[in-house]
Formats: sequence, structure tokens, C-alpha cells
Amino acid sequence: MSSSTGNILEIHDLHVEVGGKELLHGINLVIPEGQVHALMGPNGSGKTSLMMTIMGFSAYKVTRGQIIFAGRDITGLSVTERARLGIAIAQQRPPTIAGVKLRAVLDYIMAHDSVSSEEIAELVRQARVEDFLDRDINAGLSGGEIKRAELVQLLATCPRFSMMDEPESGVDLDSLALVGSLVNRLFIRDSCRPVRRRSGLIVTHTGHILKYIEADRAHIMLDGRIACSGNPHLILQTVAESGYAACVCCVVEGDGYDKVSS
Amino acid sequence: MTKSVVSTVDIVAQDEAETLADVGVQIRPDEPQVRSGTYVLRDHLPLCVQTYREGLEMLPIAEALHRYAWLREHYFWKLISPDQDEVTRQIAAESEPQGYFIWVRRGTRITRPAQAGLFIAHEGLAQKLHNVIVLEDDTELHLITGCTTGRAVRSGYHLAVNEAYVGASATLTMTMVHSWGPEVIVRPRAAVAVGDYSHYVNNYVSLRPALDIQSNPRTYLNGVGATAKYMTVILGSRGSIIDTGGEVWLNGEDSGAELVHRGVCTGGKMYQRGFLVGNARCRAHVDCAGMLLDSGEDGFIESVPGLRAFHPEARMSHEASVGKVAPEQVEYLMSRGMEEHEAISMIIRGFLDADIEGLSAELDARIGEIAAMAGHGERK
Repeated sequence: MSSSTGNILEIHDLHVEVGGKELLHGINLVIPEGQVHALMGPNGSGKTSLMMTIMGFSAYKVTRGQIIFAGRDITGLSVTERARLGIAIAQQRPPTIAGVKLRAVLDYIMAHDSVSSEEIAELVRQARVEDFLDRDINAGLSGGEIKRAELVQLLATCPRFSMMDEPESGVDLDSLALVGSLVNRLFIRDSCRPVRRRSGLIVTHTGHILKYIEADRAHIMLDGRIACSGNPHLILQTVAESGYAACVCCVVEGDGYDKVSS
Repeated sequence: MTKSVVSTVDIVAQDEAETLADVGVQIRPDEPQVRSGTYVLRDHLPLCVQTYREGLEMLPIAEALHRYAWLREHYFWKLISPDQDEVTRQIAAESEPQGYFIWVRRGTRITRPAQAGLFIAHEGLAQKLHNVIVLEDDTELHLITGCTTGRAVRSGYHLAVNEAYVGASATLTMTMVHSWGPEVIVRPRAAVAVGDYSHYVNNYVSLRPALDIQSNPRTYLNGVGATAKYMTVILGSRGSIIDTGGEVWLNGEDSGAELVHRGVCTGGKMYQRGFLVGNARCRAHVDCAGMLLDSGEDGFIESVPGLRAFHPEARMSHEASVGKVAPEQVEYLMSRGMEEHEAISMIIRGFLDADIEGLSAELDARIGEIAAMAGHGERK
């Protein structure tokens, strides 16, 4: 398979275990280059597990299936190798690390990526993370502060494919505008011909973030499977009206959206 | 001020100067610009004893005892008893004591560090030292003590009695850096007396641990408002027994102490100690944290913080924790593009949280080695 397929990400029949228990039961997902997809679904349906598996975190063991990134099978690659190919993640609950400062991580990125110190300083200012640059990373931060701290790191690395786990959770409405504009910047246009932006996958519960970043397609996960895919507005509307119960019903009756809308 | 006739650069061999530099002792042409005084003992011979600052005196202890009768009368064997244990008895039995005497005269505040290098150049040699430091009132001194062995030396003995006296309104910072051959046995016995409104800072760093180290300096905070701060950083390795930390006796009203111990264990036995004795109204805290990267065959970390209160207004507390480098922390940093060993290095550096003057390059190199080892372990 080559990148000539035009897909940034292809996932085939992905089965994933955590602590000996299978959480993902055969995921199939295709994201074309330049598209941003939204991922929805109830708590525990496997959204975070899918993202963590794409990033390569070792607690998520792939027992079957393949992850193809830009035409290359990355299923066996380390987190570092994936990061260097341009995959990045903004976690919902990133770990705190005693004694390691956000500044140290940004300094590392500056020393190894093409980003300049002026650009980093500008990002730090825009993301409003000055106040916790010299604190232990992710320690004692509010929901909104964690998002900004994660996003400033992603923006500094300029990833080809960004994943975001619930960028709006724990963020008040005022901060949401800032987080939204940072997310938007992450998917800034990267080519004119054809007009194309950077790609990504965003987990959202409420869909609030989709006011700031237009998603090309949405998927609903239920119990470790992608149950339904389609137009983000339509899916969001359905979930808002009837909750995921309707999706469960729909899947059980074997009449998934995917069949009608794709 | 000791007149310098020849530069220390001419006296210390190049490879030995490099080894000493790894433990913070700078033997180089611009030494007077970076240090206020230098004492280097090679095996049993004082190689150089020079000071570059008025009010600071550094002498071999034997010469100082000969010159100043008050030294024996008030300071020599006054904080530590010759009968304390086998180590003190052996040192007391020496016909002519070896070691340094450092004297800072009243009103002398020295910001540039002084340095003492204690160097074992020959296999199996036993250094038996008795060092005395006297800071008079209104003084300040930072002493870097680097103890190390020649590159080919595997075994030896470093036995020492260290007595330090800090007058009133004075600050003594002792930074001790040890980097030993793998079979060296290390037994310093140290005691410090601190006067009114004075501060004692004790930094101890062991980069390449010897076979067997016991270093638990005792500080007596005798003065009103006297404080002590200990920072102990130990990088352990397979086959070694390292017992470090210290104790502080809070005897003065409103005295205070903070003891911090950070140990990274890659095998071997590591004891982290911190003992506080509250004899007056005081505040003090002990914090021991250990990171067990690899226990090897029979390695462990034992964290032993302790408190003893004799006074109802002694407010003392302790905390201790032992853990490993968490994989989710390592992978979090890897997801920003770091190699595994780079991520582990950053985490260990953060854990140690040690910024000790003149040491960062060597400390970083050592942390890098440990991280590479730990990373290898994770993958097996």
C-alpha cells in the first residue's frame, strides 16, 4: 500500500488488548490526507484506546490488524518513531512528571525540530502558558490549562496528523474560544494545490469543539467497534436528540448509518 | 593569603586533573578566577595548598596544629570522639594526622568556592583524614570537596573525620562529590556545630558509587534561628552498599532543617536516611525519594526517615517514597519526539532536581549512562 492512495491513516481490523482484556474488536478506519475526523461515543467505548494505540503506547497491545500511516505500516513502530513521522496526541489526562518542566520539553522540541525560539515564545504567549512553563509538567493544572499546555507542544512540533482527546472537556466557555482557535491553528492549511489542511482525529463528547474546527466526517464508537460513520452534523444532531441509545438500537438492528451515508 | 609560587597546573598531572574536574575540583590556569583556594591531597602527600583570598586560610592539618595551639584546644576532636567507632580510632592512632584545616576569619564573606581534592592514586591505598573547618562570626564559605580515585584504581580506603564549626551569622556550604573506584570503602564521620542565625548547607553527590559507603553527617543546630539544609543525590549501582543521608539535632530556639534525599538505584543496596532530633521549638522536614530502576540480584532501596521530639513545640515531619520510572511518563515524552533514553534522562534529571555548581556536565553524563541502562532494561 502506498501514499498514492491519498490516505494519511488506514486502520484495518485492529484488535487491541489492555491488561489482557480486549478493548478494541476489529476497528476499520480510513482518514484521507487533509481531513479531520471526529470520534464520538459513550464513555468506555474505546475512543481513547484507539488514539493511544495509534500513538503506539505500550500498554495498548495490538493482537491483530494493521495501522498504515502515509502508506507505511507503523503497527510495530515505537512511540518515538511515530512522533517523528508526524503523529501527535493531546491527551485528556497527561501524566505529571516531578521535576520536568514544560519549558524543558519545549526546549527539547526547539533543539530538534525546525521551530525557532521566537516562534516558541509566540506560541507560549498565544496559548497563555507562561505561568506554568516552570512548574512540573501537567501538575496542578485546571482542565483548560492542560489543554493549552498540550496544544502548545503540538503546535511547536507541527504534526502531520494530530489527535485530540476531548479538547473541550473541563474547559469553561471563555477558555473554549482560545482552545478552539489553537486547535484550528493546528490544522492550518498546509498546501494550496490542491487546497488542503493538516489531518487529524478529534474525540468529542459534546461537539462544542466542532464550532471551531470543521470535521469532514464523524464516527461513533460503541463497545470497541466503529458502529457508524457519516456526516458530522447529522451524527451530532442524532446523538443530541436521542443519545447513544439510538445508535445501539441502530447497530443491533443492523441498519448502520455507514451503509446509507458513505 | 598563601603566596602562589607555582601554578597548581604545573603540579597536578593532566589525567589526574581531569579526574578531579569530574568531581568539581578545577585545576587550571584561571583557577584563581573560579576558586578562592585549593587544597589537593594525593595519596598521603599534600600536592598544593593555596588561597587566593584575604581572610581565608587553608593548611595541612598537621601544620595548622603546630602553628595554632587553640586549634587542638577548642576544635580538634571536640565534636567527634576518638572512641566513637573503629574508624575514629584508626584515625586517632595515626602518628601525624593528615587532612586540611580551613579557617575563615571574622567578617570574611567569600562567594567564590574554595576546593579540596582528595585523591587516591594507588591501588589499595588507605587515606585516613582528619579535616577541620572553622568559620568565625559574619563569614561565608562554599567548600567543594571532590573525592576520587585514579582511573586504574579499583580498591582503597577513604576514612575521614570531618569537624566543622560555624560561628554566628555565618553560612557554610559544603558540596561533597564522590566518584570512586568500584571496590573502594568509604567511611567519613562528620559533625557540624552551627551558631546563632547561621546556616549550614550540605550537598552530597555520589556519581560512581564505591563498594561500600557510609556517610551520615550529624549537624548540631545550637544557635537561635540556625538552619541546616541537606541535599543528598546518590546514583547507585550493582554490588554496592550505600548508606547515606544524615541527622540534624535542633537544639536552638527557632532552628529549622530540611533534609532531602534522592537516590537512583540500578542494583546494589541503598539506604536513605534522615533523622531529626527536636530539642527546642523548631521546624524540620525529611524527604526521601528513591527510584528503583533495576534491583539486580539482591538490590533494594530502604528509606529510613526518622523523628525524635524532646520538646512539645518541635514541629517535625517526614515523607518517603520509592518507585520506578513510569512507562506512561517515558512514552509521554517520547510522543514529543524524544528517544526513550532521552526521555528517561529527562525524568531522572527532574527527579534528582539537583543543580549543583560545576557538576552538571558530569552529572548529565552519568544520568545518560543510567538512562541508557534503564531503557535497555525496559525493552527486555
